[in-house]
Amino acid sequence: MAGQGPHAMSAGIVSVLFVAAALVAAGAFAAAWRRDLSAALAGVPLMFAGAGVAFVGVARFGAAGGPQLFGQEFAVLLAVASLALVALGVGMAGRESSR
Amino acid sequence: MDSLHAIGFYVSSGVSVAGGLGVALLPRRDMRGASLLVVAIGVAGIYLALSAGFAAAVALVCYAGVAIALAGPRYRSIDIAVGPIWRQLGAVGAAALLALLAFSAFKGAFAHATFYGGTFGTAGIGRLLFEHDALAVEAVAALILVAFAGGAAAWRARDRTR
Repeated sequence: MAGQGPHAMSAGIVSVLFVAAALVAAGAFAAAWRRDLSAALAGVPLMFAGAGVAFVGVARFGAAGGPQLFGQEFAVLLAVASLALVALGVGMAGRESSR
Repeated sequence: MDSLHAIGFYVSSGVSVAGGLGVALLPRRDMRGASLLVVAIGVAGIYLALSAGFAAAVALVCYAGVAIALAGPRYRSIDIAVGPIWRQLGAVGAAALLALLAFSAFKGAFAHATFYGGTFGTAGIGRLLFEHDALAVEAVAALILVAFAGGAAAWRARDRTR
């Protein structure tokens, strides 16, 4: 079978969780280290993206019987919530004065 | 997962992690916005490789919107009044979080199961979103409405007081 030989490349849940951990940690670092509020705000969607990757990975590899799509559903809701959060944050920061 | 999906997963993972480092380290807001766009493309690629096509489309649109909102030049920069000690503690905490999550991921090989969803999975996701978890979707929709309305109101109010 194509792609299933002894040297076939594959990815498992451990790889997915490593990528999710890297994204969450990078977002936490940005949120903690940055002095500017907008730069710190940019770390939050990064953490949400990492959490979404973990949810989708668990839905893909850890679904115990039946079509378990809750992880994908939660990733969708996280992406939408991050957009709302950033819109609120930028709106509260306010417009740059032209003077 | 076959080789093609695995290659797509690893390439997208590299793209998204590189974009995440750019968001964390780059100095200017337009560069950070471009990095967040790179993260959006990488995360959508990861979702596609994991057979979550609908989530990939939504994530690409939402995170691209976040990138455009954060890259815009028209909002003010606000400095956070936090001392360097607390920022350094936060950075150390982020490193500790990475170590903890990496250890958890290393121990996460306990889950083995068969995936029954399709490549795009729209029907299953739609059933979940609009039938099983309709209340949660309504709550998120209300959250978005309040966030957009609040953001627009705050934007206009600050503009009027100036």
